Amino acid sequence: MLSFDEILVQVNEIFKNILDNDAISLKTTTTANDIEEWDSLTHIQLIVAIEKHFKIRFTTSEITSYSNVGEMCEGIQKK
Amino acid sequence: MLKGDIFSHEFIVDMEIYNGFINLFRDKNPLHTDLSFAKKKGFVSTVMHGNILGGFISYFIGECLPIKNVIIHSQEIKYYNPVFLNDQLFFVAKVSDVFESVSVVMFDFLFENAQKQKIAKGKIQIGLI
Repeated sequence: MLSFDEILVQVNEIFKNILDNDAISLKTTTTANDIEEWDSLTHIQLIVAIEKHFKIRFTTSEITSYSNVGEMCEGIQKK
Repeated sequence: MLKGDIFSHEFIVDMEIYNGFINLFRDKNPLHTDLSFAKKKGFVSTVMHGNILGGFISYFIGECLPIKNVIIHSQEIKYYNPVFLNDQLFFVAKVSDVFESVSVVMFDFLFENAQKQKIAKGKIQIGLI
């Protein structure tokens, strides 16, 4: 089972790749307001890439309940 | 739509589509318009524009699916054999994945000609809006 920090590192790589921005450095408190490229369309691409990478499936309510990257990583860890 | 669902459609690259594409996008490269040039390059006739297939994909997503509330997020296509005027193309798309959390459906697709040659294949991602 991956640790929270390992998940965060892998999620960070996904963000860099999908948002085409190598400067991204996610924190647990990061939200869409902190990253210019993170808009409604790239949000979809991020979730698809994360679900594929970790071989998990979120529900719509789970996605909407996450208020920052840290909560999403916790959600991944619980899958 | 469920993973594994298969959709198909037949297309013909006729003169109306060929001329329409040239008139709209102005790509008159000799490979597409000059028979002698195309033959010198090893083709039996002028080659149809590869992005005509992109138009067929648009038609498939917009008109052939059982729902209309769709938008294309991304698509990729690889070409394997040329298409010539009046070729009949058989298009098959299979739902390869569904991401319910963000209302996304992915397809793998294949174009074949009447000789069963692989013309092009690729992937499409759509969103349900």
